[in-house]
Amino acid sequence: MTRYLLTRLGQALVIVILVTLITFVILHLLPGGAARAILGKEATLEQIAAFNHEMGYDRPLWQQYAMYLQRLVQGDLGYSFQLNQSVAEAIWQRLPKTMLLSLASTFLAVVVAVPLGVVQAVRRNRWPDYTINGLSLLAYATPIFFMGLMMIILFSQVWPVLPPEAPQGFTLAEVLADPAGLVLPTLTLTILTVAVYSRYVRSSMVDNLNENYVRTARSKGLSEGRVIVGHTLRNGLFPVITLLGMYLPALFSGALVVERLFNYPGMGLLFWQAALKRDYPILLGVTLLISVATVLGALVADVLYAAVDPRVRLKAGRS
Amino acid sequence: MEASSEPLLRLRDLSTDIALRRGTVHALDHVNLEVNQGETLGIVGESGSGKTMTVLSVMGLLPTGGSVVGGEILFDGRDLRTMPAPELRRVRGVEMGMVFQDPLTSLNPTMRIGAQVAEPLRVHQGVSKAEARERAVEILRRVGMPRPDKIVDDYPHQLSGGMRQRVVIAMALIRSPRLLIADEPTTALDVTTQRQILELIDDLREEFRMAVILVTHDLGVIAGRADRVAVMYAGRVVETATTTELFRAPRHRYTEALMRALPESAADGRLYSIPGLPPDLSRPLTGCRFAPRCRFATDECRTTDVALTGDGHKFACLHPVAEPVPITVSTGHHRAAATSAADPILTVRDLVKEYDAGGAGLRRTAGRVSAVAGVSFDVKPGETLGIVGESGCGKSTVGRLVAGLEPATGGQIIVDGTDIATLDRRARHHMHRKVQLMFQDSYAAMNPRMRIDSILTEPLEIQQVGDAAARRARVSELLDQVGLPRRALERYPHEFSGGQLQRIGLARSLALRPRLIVADEPVSALDVSVQAQVLNLMRDLQGELGLSYVFISHDLSVVDYMADRIGVMYLGKLVEMGPAHQVVRAPRHPYTQALLDAVPSPDPGRTPSPDTTIRGELPSALNPPTGCRFRTRCPLAQDVCATEPVLEGGPHQVACHFPLRQEAPAA
Repeated sequence: MTRYLLTRLGQALVIVILVTLITFVILHLLPGGAARAILGKEATLEQIAAFNHEMGYDRPLWQQYAMYLQRLVQGDLGYSFQLNQSVAEAIWQRLPKTMLLSLASTFLAVVVAVPLGVVQAVRRNRWPDYTINGLSLLAYATPIFFMGLMMIILFSQVWPVLPPEAPQGFTLAEVLADPAGLVLPTLTLTILTVAVYSRYVRSSMVDNLNENYVRTARSKGLSEGRVIVGHTLRNGLFPVITLLGMYLPALFSGALVVERLFNYPGMGLLFWQAALKRDYPILLGVTLLISVATVLGALVADVLYAAVDPRVRLKAGRS
Repeated sequence: MEASSEPLLRLRDLSTDIALRRGTVHALDHVNLEVNQGETLGIVGESGSGKTMTVLSVMGLLPTGGSVVGGEILFDGRDLRTMPAPELRRVRGVEMGMVFQDPLTSLNPTMRIGAQVAEPLRVHQGVSKAEARERAVEILRRVGMPRPDKIVDDYPHQLSGGMRQRVVIAMALIRSPRLLIADEPTTALDVTTQRQILELIDDLREEFRMAVILVTHDLGVIAGRADRVAVMYAGRVVETATTTELFRAPRHRYTEALMRALPESAADGRLYSIPGLPPDLSRPLTGCRFAPRCRFATDECRTTDVALTGDGHKFACLHPVAEPVPITVSTGHHRAAATSAADPILTVRDLVKEYDAGGAGLRRTAGRVSAVAGVSFDVKPGETLGIVGESGCGKSTVGRLVAGLEPATGGQIIVDGTDIATLDRRARHHMHRKVQLMFQDSYAAMNPRMRIDSILTEPLEIQQVGDAAARRARVSELLDQVGLPRRALERYPHEFSGGQLQRIGLARSLALRPRLIVADEPVSALDVSVQAQVLNLMRDLQGELGLSYVFISHDLSVVDYMADRIGVMYLGKLVEMGPAHQVVRAPRHPYTQALLDAVPSPDPGRTPSPDTTIRGELPSALNPPTGCRFRTRCPLAQDVCATEPVLEGGPHQVACHFPLRQEAPAA
């Protein structure tokens, strides 16, 4: 197991290094170079030269890359002149808030989607299945901004029980002090996620319920509940693990549309504003972070798989 | 057998339907059966006959859409159909036990063996965790599991197929059931494992005084193990009798045809085959359901519903077999030996194939799997060489190497005088014209989205044979040869039955007019009656076209029928090679003898000698035993067996330090 983990970590590291190389190259493909982007059109050649020298941009590329890596290792993702703060700091301020939103909605989605999917599989091709299927297709097909708008109209205009805007607190504690403001953005995200997850759970459970081992379990005279919970559920939930692994990057990137819609100061909003203002250091820093999260997500999914599926566990242990 | 007044299980006019999208299949039609305490009832029939549906109806395990629509299932006098659900579950979980066909998929992959085996006790008897584990170890030991105290904590994938089947049996037995239902319990297993499992069920039946229902398509399995037999055809029981009576004097024409179609009974050198296919059970049927395929059918058969009549030996046939026609177990036919003067079409010398075991990249340390280890043989033009052995012996690998699907690790493959290792890509491409493959599962081997037309034309296009018109003519000719109608060309593979697909597979391999066809288990997935059709066709075409076959199979009786010479493989090595009738009737290698003894014979009187029984499991091909690879399981093994024996002798060669017999003098 340890050996398997180490191998996978090694592979992940290689990919992350490749990602840094790509972001580095992009950084150097900026029209006019970084100096123009930062100092503006009015800057004189001397100013640019001085800036380049100060930042080390006049050195050979490989040296610059080495410096870039060195800074990365120290947690230095660059400096945003537009926000007037380091990229790391900007991210660090917003990341907890984004994670709060994503984790809350993912947790809710799993809690709701798994039972829904199971019910659909057990009552497949009967009215509960058709009803849930119809609703989840509807939710899946609705653009998320439209869904969010409907939520705002319904719950803060027609029936004004919830604020239409997310809490604007600077720190996590301040945001948590106003939980009512979190309800609508969380719900909007949850509904979409439930629609996706329940479909996976349904099809995986349907497959598993048709397996021979389920017939064996029934032959022992087990109740239907025990057949489903005791035998089928564990095998049926494997695809959810993959989904969660794939979802990990979203914890970091945040939900752009929802954050924008509810004006929630998270990663999504940060990225959105940086894109508008061409704040390259922020864009690259966030991109790098998401890339790493993606690689880590795949790794976490594999490790989780190994933890719950003995077949994977052994294959890994043996080789 | 017990003198009990009431049978343990009695089915009265049981009818079962399965609702499918395309209509309702009437899988069972008024089935009447009984099983007494301590008795083994065999249910035999071809696929679709309803034998599995019968036992699934009893267990309440019908597939989605299936339901019992009429009749009674009386277990110990009480009708299971009217029993309340919780009580029914208790009966199912305590008084009955079921063993399924496919041990590889019948166990929950993420649950430990012990937990699965002891689950009925935990659920129905509220046994504590610790005690359940103890009972699981005990029952696993009872079914012959090595190191049961370790196995209980293992997961299913860590065990071989035979071991997993023991687990399934243990799971059924831990409840001390009064009725054990075994549905094709050994069909997925090798013959030597099959023998161990069947003996185990027999022993346990006596020990636990159970009634057993043994469902199988294999008349040989039934003959040796059952007290009484029910023969099913198209959802009905057509004949029941005691086993001795049934095999001595079958009365129903279907039973007779089934027995005549066995490769073992091909005494006159040609198999009897039942024409046509079983009826479609979703359509309304009148009269005897076997009538359309029966030689003796009259108009009366087609219009009257024939009831099961008779006392003791019951059968539903208007024109029953009059006098006893015992099946004649073939004593071996001397096929006209292929002209030995001709140059061989295929010569294989010291063929070796090894695979890297497990991981790639950083972890290439695990070792190498020795799949084929120094195999040599010739195939003469017009000759059939049979290769037999159990799964994992390397017989299919030899087939793939000969057909050029994989490169060999070492040795020579000489096709028609040319060593294929010396060929460049283009020439090797051309070589494929001479050697073609025929697969076990033709459906899986055909692109489901291609019409038969394209499937048959493709080899001609790839090898650029003729123009479009010539190709069309060739494809029509091929269909004629394999006995399929022209309209088959416009259809897709899923529209054909297994036997028809094998014909198409044969037509495809014939398309390029090869000299040699490597047939890998070509009839293993087919029912006896259809198997006979395909085997006869293959032999007819061999005669017409002067083909050579390398016929790979695990089934000795089929190989015996088809082959001129037989090679027996064990763990990557040829252990015996000789004329078919000699290898099968006077084997020289202890492994061949054991293999032959393990084959269930459709002759109830014959009991295999126990001293040649081999026990245990095939060793891993990743560190195979040194010297003779069979010595770890051989009853005759001595110290000298640690040195490798050489395959030697005249026409009948053996690689053994203690051959069972001397070579028969040349006739």
